[in-house]
This record gives sequence, C-alpha cells and structure tokens, in this order.
Amino acid sequence: MIEVQNLSFARGNHLILKNINLQVHAGEVMVLRGPNGHGKTTLLSNIAKMIEPLEGKIFYQGEEIDDYIASKTFLFIGENSFAFDQLTLDQNIDYWLAIHNVKFSKSIREQSIQYLFQGVNLKKKYYQLSFGQKKKLQLLLLMLVNKPVWILDDPFNGLDIDSINKITTLILKKKQNNGMVVIATPQNPAIQEVHFYEIYC
Amino acid sequence: MIKGSVFSFVLFCLLVISSTIFALALRHISFEIEIPMSFLWVMMFFISLIKVEKVYQSEFSESKLQQYMLSPFSLEVVIFIKNIFIYLNLIILFIFFSPILLIILNIELSYFIPINLLLSLSLLSIVFISSITSSLTVSKNNRLSITSVLTLPLFIPILIFSMALTDVIEFSGNKMYLFFIAYFLLNLAFSPLLTSFALKKLSI
Repeated sequence: MIEVQNLSFARGNHLILKNINLQVHAGEVMVLRGPNGHGKTTLLSNIAKMIEPLEGKIFYQGEEIDDYIASKTFLFIGENSFAFDQLTLDQNIDYWLAIHNVKFSKSIREQSIQYLFQGVNLKKKYYQLSFGQKKKLQLLLLMLVNKPVWILDDPFNGLDIDSINKITTLILKKKQNNGMVVIATPQNPAIQEVHFYEIYC
Repeated sequence: MIKGSVFSFVLFCLLVISSTIFALALRHISFEIEIPMSFLWVMMFFISLIKVEKVYQSEFSESKLQQYMLSPFSLEVVIFIKNIFIYLNLIILFIFFSPILLIILNIELSYFIPINLLLSLSLLSIVFISSITSSLTVSKNNRLSITSVLTLPLFIPILIFSMALTDVIEFSGNKMYLFFIAYFLLNLAFSPLLTSFALKKLSI
C-alpha cells in the first residue's frame, strides 16, 4: 500500500499542494483529477521521491520511501519523451532497457516490440518518429520493466485509439496482478473500478 | 524576469573575469604568455560551463534525469559517467583546436604539450564543478539565477593555479600538476554527491 500523509509542497513562496492524504492499495488504480496547474504532476513526482515535499510523509508497505525504495518500486512515465533523438528506435530501446536493468530473453523482447511497434522501422532515428510512435517507447517500458507501482502522467495524451486500448489493457493486467497504478489525467480512463482523487489547493 | 536573468549572468561573468585578473595580479605579468593564457583559460571555462549546463538542462527538460533517478543505478554513478563523457567530448575538441588557438593567441607552439596537459587536468575539475552549478540552476524557474555564484569559489583555485603555467613550462615536473590531480580527486569525491543532492532536492 502507498500512503500519503499530510503532504504539502511549495515552489518558492507558492503553495502548490496542501495537506494531501491518500492511500493506494494493491490491485488498485488511482486517478488524480484536477484542473491544469493544480499540482497533479507535482504530486506524482513527490510520490516517486523525485522531489522533496515541504511537509508530510509518504510510505510504501509501511516504510517511509527513500531513494532505494523508490528505485525498486516505481516506474515513472512522464509527459515528456526521454529518448535520445539522434539514436535509432532500436538503440533507444536497448539503452533504456539496460538503464532499467531489464534482462529478458530475446524472444520476449521481440514479441513486446512487435506488439507495440508493428510496421515501424526500428532503424529510424528517434526524431523521425511521430509523437504517438515516440510515446510507445514509454509503453514498452511498462511492458518489460517489472516494478510494483506505475506512476503515469497523462499517459493517453497524443495516442490513437489502438494505443489507448493497449495501454488500458496493460493497466488492467497490472491491476489484476495486484500492482498499483497512479495516473494523472484529465480524461476518464476506460477502466472499471478506479478510484478518483480530486486535487484542489 | 529576463532583466534579472541577464543581470545575474553579467554578474557571474564579471566575477569570473575579475577573479582571472586577480590571479594575474598576484603574479609577475608576462605579456608574452600569461595574458593569452588567461584568455584561453577563461574561454575554456565558459565553453565548458555552457556545455555542461546545456547537457543537464536538456536531460532535465526531457525527463531523462527522472528515469535515471528511478533506475537501479545510483544517480551519482550516472553523473560520474555523464561528466566523463562531457569531458572527453570537450577535451578532444580543445586538443584539436589548440594549435590554431595557440597561433591566434601568439603562444609558442613548443608549449603545445604542457598547455594541453594542464588543460586536460584542469578541465576535469571544471566539468565536475560545472555539473554542480548546472544542477543548482537546472530547474526552469531557477535558470541563470544567482545560485550559480555559489560554486564560483570552487573555480577560483583552478584559475589562479592555471596562471602559474609559465612555472610549469620553465621548471618541468613542477608540483603544479599534482595540485590539479589532487583537486580533481577532491572534486571526484564530492561533486557527484553534491550534483545528485541538488538534482533531487533543489530541482523543483
């Protein structure tokens, strides 16, 4: 379980999050909703321990999250594409899987790539890909990096219907496997039994 | 806001240039080598700072740093490897262009090897200290802010000792090289830690 207790966050003199309390249980999908600029991404970054809160604590399975727990537990997919423009898609896949220490058999790797990048030339430079194709690299990490908690910042943005269905399927599988998913999105995902948390500051 | 950023940047440049002049003032000024050398060092310093800043800025804005933070590798190791690659990138560029620069600055070509040796050693420290500077200013809200001045004292010893190059040339095997090696090792011990700390705690 992830438990956020009395979390507040300020940027300079501006208070962005105030007294946030929420819990995410195993097998649960939590959707953060709120107007733009109200701190959804900031809350996700706080949960993933990428930034420090002003006040409050965040626990995972009863332990306060530190850098070690965060790196073992969270897979963060943000709005920005993190790949290297000058590398090919194939090279980027190898690089980011190596960074996340993913050691799968070649066949599983190939099947996953085929599932997402069917018909895409893997030798294409990353900057030559469309926005949606670039976004699929992030989805590939969701498929292959085995971490118990996914933190997704607007994962449906810029994706076509087919890709949205694929990511929804991945989230459902994660939910069935007792994983936890925290999503910040302005849309209502087509997933049943999600929990919503409204952010107003 | 732009006015403030420009002011900070100009202030930073003035501090660096004044520190170079200060370094020159402490020594006997030789117009033959020390003035062109100080110019070369300040130029190298700015190019390195801008390059490191650019790399960290792009990695931050493209969320690569977020992925590194949550990867099984420690951020300190990632920063160390990144800095070494930036260093190699810069040093190859400097060594390649140094004969042209020496001619332009009217420095004897016989100084090519000692200058490049000293440049290679001091550039290591400059890159590692620059990474601390960049991590302090990497946030969009914080870019070119006055916080970059915090790391300025760390650059001053390099600038001062670099001006002693003539001693190194005149007395081969001078202990000046040892200073740069020791200073780099000191930076190696602290700057990945400080850079990582600043990226995690201050880049909001």
